[in-house]
Amino acid sequence: MKNIHKSFGAVHAVRDVSFSVGEAEIHGLLGENGAGKSTLMNILGGILRQDSGQIYIDGEEHSHLTPVKASRLGIRFIHQELNLVNDLKVYENLFLNNEIVKSGIHLNRKEMIRRSREVFERMNLDIDPTVFVRELDTSRKQLVEIARALLFECRLIIMDEPTTALTNEEIDNLFTIMRGLRDEGISCIYISHKMPELFEICDKYTVMRDGAYIASGNFADINEQQATEMLVGRNIDDDVFDKTDCVQDEVVFEAENLSCEGYFSNVSFKLRKGEIIAFTGLFGDGRGELSECLFGARKATDGVIRLNGDELNTKSIASVIRSGVSMVPRNRKERSIIKDMNIRDNISMAYFTSRHKGIHISPKKEYRRYEENRKATNIKAAGPDHLITSLSGGNQQKVIFSRWFGLDSDVYILDNPTQGIDVGAKFEIYQLITRLVDQGKSVIVFSSEFPEIHKIADRCIVMYKGEINKEFTRKELDEVEVMYYATGSNKRS
Amino acid sequence: MSTSLELSMNKKSKGFDFKRFIINHNYILSLILMLLIGRIASDQFLSFPSLMNLMRSSVFIGIIALGMSLVIISGNIDLSVGSILALSAAIGVVVFNTTQNMLLTLVMCMFLGALMGFFNGIFVGVAKVASFIVTLATLTAFRSITIQFGDGGPQIVNHEIYFDTLRKLGYGKLGPFPYLVLIFVGITCAVWYLMNRTKFGRYVYAVGSNEKAARLTGIKVEYIKVMIFTITGLLTGIAAFLYIARFGSVDVATAGKGFELDVIAAVAIGGTSMAGGRGFIQGSFFGAIILFAIDAILSAFQVPAFVTDFIKGVLILGAVLLQKALDRNAE
Repeated sequence: MKNIHKSFGAVHAVRDVSFSVGEAEIHGLLGENGAGKSTLMNILGGILRQDSGQIYIDGEEHSHLTPVKASRLGIRFIHQELNLVNDLKVYENLFLNNEIVKSGIHLNRKEMIRRSREVFERMNLDIDPTVFVRELDTSRKQLVEIARALLFECRLIIMDEPTTALTNEEIDNLFTIMRGLRDEGISCIYISHKMPELFEICDKYTVMRDGAYIASGNFADINEQQATEMLVGRNIDDDVFDKTDCVQDEVVFEAENLSCEGYFSNVSFKLRKGEIIAFTGLFGDGRGELSECLFGARKATDGVIRLNGDELNTKSIASVIRSGVSMVPRNRKERSIIKDMNIRDNISMAYFTSRHKGIHISPKKEYRRYEENRKATNIKAAGPDHLITSLSGGNQQKVIFSRWFGLDSDVYILDNPTQGIDVGAKFEIYQLITRLVDQGKSVIVFSSEFPEIHKIADRCIVMYKGEINKEFTRKELDEVEVMYYATGSNKRS
Repeated sequence: MSTSLELSMNKKSKGFDFKRFIINHNYILSLILMLLIGRIASDQFLSFPSLMNLMRSSVFIGIIALGMSLVIISGNIDLSVGSILALSAAIGVVVFNTTQNMLLTLVMCMFLGALMGFFNGIFVGVAKVASFIVTLATLTAFRSITIQFGDGGPQIVNHEIYFDTLRKLGYGKLGPFPYLVLIFVGITCAVWYLMNRTKFGRYVYAVGSNEKAARLTGIKVEYIKVMIFTITGLLTGIAAFLYIARFGSVDVATAGKGFELDVIAAVAIGGTSMAGGRGFIQGSFFGAIILFAIDAILSAFQVPAFVTDFIKGVLILGAVLLQKALDRNAE
């Protein structure tokens, strides 16, 4: 791939990236969240069309790829999210759109099942091709996805974080298969955040950062520290953010041995008054599920949460809110905004569920609440009766913040609070967060953006595979170090 | 009433956006159009008594449509309303014949309606079965109970007492206004209040617009859904009582049959989004009247009965398409 460009609106997802994979090579593609790896691979898989640049396969130019063309050329793409049809059987999924037919229309079931069995044998798996995909657990589904790529002739397999749902044994199994494929002359592009895996299986590496190409080379020539440094870059955000330390001694919120099966386990931490703790990690670290558990939106399987010394009643979300915990969820469009409602109602909604007495709503009071919040969070809107969807992303997020700020909670859980908003609005959000701790509130931020953590966090907890891997104080914070622990590099024996 | 309130609310923000208002409340256009066509069909169409008659005939569908608006705004559907009406009314007749007490009959009809609605609500809200399936099942189940209950024949209110009591409600007037119309307007105001000035109303809109966000804001979604279906059942129970008062008998096999379609049509004409999250109670009020205006116009033009349903279908589709087009225009 040569000089590939791709932008989505004003965002340059991939800028002038060149990338090549040789025959019989396992190539690791590295980068942080949003570095442009998936976009680049989607272009190679024919799912996205590049804005400019050329693609060469076996020396021939194939710059206008479509998914069908790509698979005819032997490129197989195993996606990060599962693309299986739950209500079809395993072999039907494997052969979907590539069915083997007799005399034109009749499905040759026996042949398809036989070939499916063959693939699973080759992969050293005991999956029955005639069961429904629905009945398999997530790691098995992932393996079926991989099997689909192996079923047909292929030259190059792209794996986008294939191991997030797999157990260690299954990962070892997968690596054996990959080595077998390499011996047959088939190449592989392997995307992962996990350093130990990359070092174990890959021959070559390419690092991307902020949509740009950074470096390429052999894994044998570098160590994990160097890899992490390339990943992060040295350009650590140097715009200083004024943050006064207002941490007090009193512990407000506490989690003890909190576990949620399949997502995270044994998470314990203490949050003090006026403190901002940041949780960070990479895809699959169980962070999102942890944030839901702390808010009562997901049932923890084990452990306790305490608020001001008493056990938090997590029976319903409403009771958690009333006790004094607020949450700004991640993914604003899906989880926060009520799109058919105006700005005023969007702000008042949490007040209604937790503080409002009686059933009558007085429009006058609602307008007053809107006006107070608009001033406090500096929302730029034409008026309280306009739909929330008429606002920009940053202003929508300020509305969501206003929804919770008015409740005067003790603890604020912010899950990815600056997702998808521009730099200016981000800065305003940071100011809002620091204003909260100035007022003696406590904040837990879940974030994957280091510059953000660097600006506001008093402490940073790094998670890896559902467990707390490392804790940093504000003074110790260092992006390379954080990345080192987030990728689990310390766990490599 | 409702119109002027909307006006004053809009004035508080930046002036009055007439275009936006017409797009939101395009059922007003449809109503004016229908009344004009009606005027062409008959000189008498716009006279006060004939307008009152038009409203009186739309009372049963209209009251149920108010409840159905809640259901549809919350992103669900209730197909069982016709059967709820039939069963509440059939038992209501027996209660009235034995007790001769109008109030008790009303309470009984409301209780039965609410109970059946509650039943729907438990399945939809708590057991999380699709409302289409739940109410399709109860549509047939409730009807079957009704037919069993009445042995297939009609339930008739005792004639001697009927003329002195229920019939006065069904046919009487307060000054120029039929009682039924006054009750209809009164219930519309009550439901309008519920949906526009109470927390519960906001929750219904929130659940229909974004259930996940509603839940994460602390709204008990299951409870809201149970309540919505219960309220719809309750309103259907009231409609059942008025039905007895108006007709004096309930045919267990046919009473309320096909009502669900007329009710949903009324809500759709009233501008409520079938996808949930958006809609106006006053829209459903006018929607029911428009639906019966169509009926009246077609009979005024002496359109043969078997063509009527066809034309009605076309007009309903037209109304909904108009709403879609205006919506797209606004975006």
